[in-house]
Amino acid sequence: MNPFKILELEPRFDLDLDAAEHRHRELSRALHPDRFVGRPASERRLALSRAIEVNEAWRTLRDPVRRAEALLNLHGIDSGETSSAKADPELLMEMMEQREALAETRASKDLPRLRDLSATMRDRQARVLDALTKAFSHDPQTALPVLAELRYVRRFLEEASALEDELL
Amino acid sequence: MAYSNKVIDHYENPRNVGSMDKNDDNVGTGLVGAPACGDVMRLQIRVDDDGKISDAKFKTFGCGSAIASSSLATEWLKGRTLEEATKIKNRDIAEELNLPPVKIHCSVLAEDAIKSAIEDFRRKQKAKRALQTQTQDDPEPAQEAQETPNAPSEGKRSLPIVSSQPER
Repeated sequence: MNPFKILELEPRFDLDLDAAEHRHRELSRALHPDRFVGRPASERRLALSRAIEVNEAWRTLRDPVRRAEALLNLHGIDSGETSSAKADPELLMEMMEQREALAETRASKDLPRLRDLSATMRDRQARVLDALTKAFSHDPQTALPVLAELRYVRRFLEEASALEDELL
Repeated sequence: MAYSNKVIDHYENPRNVGSMDKNDDNVGTGLVGAPACGDVMRLQIRVDDDGKISDAKFKTFGCGSAIASSSLATEWLKGRTLEEATKIKNRDIAEELNLPPVKIHCSVLAEDAIKSAIEDFRRKQKAKRALQTQTQDDPEPAQEAQETPNAPSEGKRSLPIVSSQPER
């Protein structure tokens, strides 16, 4: 299933998210069950299954990791859990350090330090997203290691945000 | 998806969490990751002069199955020789923990971590021997050390390999 096609958008990483969301809303409205009251059951079923597709496509495209995976998929490149790609040792080392630093802020309940670590990682996320855009416009194959980095960065940010809720 | 009782047990009471000095010549460190899910796993072994693993530690940031796989691995490693340690296979871990098919890659990660810790240890020992050889004035034991490498599996490497893990 190609989420770009479902939302009738050009397949690119630096997608205009506002435009994509707008398209999602338009299509959802057009496919809403209320519009199919009194129509044949087959038509209602079709509209419903298309509405589900449209929702799923938007969920995929608004998440940068899933958007990158969808683009790679379009290029026939496997990026899922079955792909045998190995992580770069230096990235692993850095991420291990960062995750340990995060774990320390939990133990010491150090909210300012936690926010510091998160801010640094958010800057990094912005840089990685730029790098992904460049990789996709240049050669999708080179996007794989950048996507790996993005996954690590986002895992960190998810953990950091959960921890912030916990410490507040 | 439900975790097996053994996974839950290791997740809630992880064995051997911690770290050892990665610069210690008797310590081998394996740092591996699954770029597809953003997991990172560090597994360390301490090898005594009799060639047996006297201690093992791990630190894993990842899902319950990844934590359980590495926790179990450290339990199994203690008391084994390096040769015996290489016989721990991912399917043994997966079987012991009743991992479902979608979590098999967590046990693969643990096996990779074991292998890479052993490699790191052997590399250090080799570098140490090479250094001793270089600094020795008496040529005879030096020659002996060169002719009888203790790790025949690494015979293809004739020069000491600098640790692949960059220093901070």
